[in-house]
Amino acid sequence: MLLLVGTVPIENLPLTYGPVHYQPDKLTIGDYTLEGQYVTLGTAAMISAASATCQAIGADEPYALVMGDTGMGDGTMKILKFLTDELANLAPRVVTLHYILPTRELFMNFVNTARKMENGPFLIADAGALLNAKAVKLASKFDLFTPDPGELSFLADPDAAHPAYVQHFIFNVDQTEVPRLSKDAYDHGDAPRYMVVKAPIDHVIEEGKAVATINEPNVPTMEPIGGTGDTITGEVSALISSGMDVVDACITACKINRTAGELARPAPDTTIAQFIPHIGEAVKKVLGK
Amino acid sequence: MPEEEKDKALIVFDYIFHAMRAKPVLEEAGLKSREVAPPAEYRTGCDLAVEIDATDVDAAENVLIEKGVMMLDILFMPKGSEFVPVYLTNLMKTVDYGDFVMVRCGNMKITYQKGSGRIVNISGGGCPDIPYLGMKLYGTVIGQGPKPRTLGKTICAYTLEHAYEKALEIFKKENKKRK
Repeated sequence: MLLLVGTVPIENLPLTYGPVHYQPDKLTIGDYTLEGQYVTLGTAAMISAASATCQAIGADEPYALVMGDTGMGDGTMKILKFLTDELANLAPRVVTLHYILPTRELFMNFVNTARKMENGPFLIADAGALLNAKAVKLASKFDLFTPDPGELSFLADPDAAHPAYVQHFIFNVDQTEVPRLSKDAYDHGDAPRYMVVKAPIDHVIEEGKAVATINEPNVPTMEPIGGTGDTITGEVSALISSGMDVVDACITACKINRTAGELARPAPDTTIAQFIPHIGEAVKKVLGK
Repeated sequence: MPEEEKDKALIVFDYIFHAMRAKPVLEEAGLKSREVAPPAEYRTGCDLAVEIDATDVDAAENVLIEKGVMMLDILFMPKGSEFVPVYLTNLMKTVDYGDFVMVRCGNMKITYQKGSGRIVNISGGGCPDIPYLGMKLYGTVIGQGPKPRTLGKTICAYTLEHAYEKALEIFKKENKKRK
C-alpha cells in the first residue's frame, strides 16, 4: 500500500486517513472530499497525481493521511504523531512525506520508528519533509528525495539551515553542477540512496552518481507553474509502489510529467489544476498502454 | 579606525512566524539586528534567528514581549561567533516569458502578467503556508493585494516576500517606461 502524507491549507480540515480517488475537480480522501482549487494545492496536487497514475496503470489506489495546516504546525504535529503511533498497523509498502512544517522531535520519532520496523516502508520525502530530514541529519535514513535545484543546493551545503542560507545557489542547471552537488550531498550524509532532481534537465541519482538524464519532451513553460514538481513526486511514488524498479520508476515519472506538460500545452499562467488531468494519458503514452 | 567588535546575543524562536516579525519590531524601536541561521542544535529545516548587540538584550526583550513576539531563548554568544546570514539578495533570477515575468528568489518563484500585474503562479517551497499563500495571492495585482510576509509563517514565505518585492520593483519600472 502507498501512503501519501502531508498538510493541506484548509484550517478546519480534520485529521483524515483513507483511500484516495482523483477525478478532475474532485479528490476524495476517506470520507472527505476536496473540491475546486483545493484539489490541487500542495500535498493535494501530489496525491492527485499519484491517484491518476495508479488509475492509468491499473494499480490499487493509494491511501492518504492529511490535515489542515496553514503554517502554524498544528496539523503537522497531529499527522506525525498519528503516523508514528499507527505505522506498524498500517504497514505501508511506501510512505511519501510532503508539505509539513519542519519540526525536530516528532519528525525524528517517525523516521526512527520506520527504520526500526522489520520490512519497514520505502521512505520518500519532498517539500517540507525533505528540508526537515536534512536539517535534523536524517536524510540518509530515507530512500528517495525529489528535490529541485534550489533544494539540491541546500542538501549539498552542509552549513545551510534552509535554501535561503545557501551560499552557492545553482540557477543554470547543467550536467556538471547537478552531479557534483548530488555527490557532495551524498558524501556528507545529506542525501538518500536515490534522488530525482527536477529541473529543465531531470537527473536520476543513485548513491551520489547520476545514472540517467531526461530532457524530452522539453516544455520550458512548465517551470513557473506551481505544483509541477509535486506531481513528479506523486507519479514516482505510484510507480515504485506498483513494484517497478526504483531507477526505472524515477526515469518513467520524469517522462510522464514532461509528456503531461506537452499534452497540456501550458503558458506561464496555466494552473496545476489544468495540468493534472493530462497525467493519465501521459502515463499510457509513456508506458505504451 | 575599525569599529571594535561588540559582544553579541542571539534570539531564537519556537515558531518561525515570530522570528519573521522580530526584525521589523526591533528596527522600529531603533535597535540594530541581523537575521541569521540559528546554531545546528536549534534547527528543524525552517529556521531564522536574530542577532543583536549583547548590550541591547534588555531593551530587545522588552519590546518583543510588548509587541507579542514570542521568543524561545536569548543566547549570549562568545566574541567572534559567526552565524550564516540570509543570502537572499544573491539568490535572485528573473526570466522573461514575453507576456509574463517570473522572479525567482532561492527556492521560491512568483510569476506575474506584464501590464496588468496579475499574479498567475507561485512555485517552490515546502512548508504548509506556501499552498495557502498561493491560494490567497493568485489573481491579485502585485503591490495591491496581500503580501507574503503578512500571511506567511515560514522561511519559504519570507523568501517569497523577497521575490514578490523584486517582482513589484520590475513591474513598477515597466509601468513607468510605458507612461
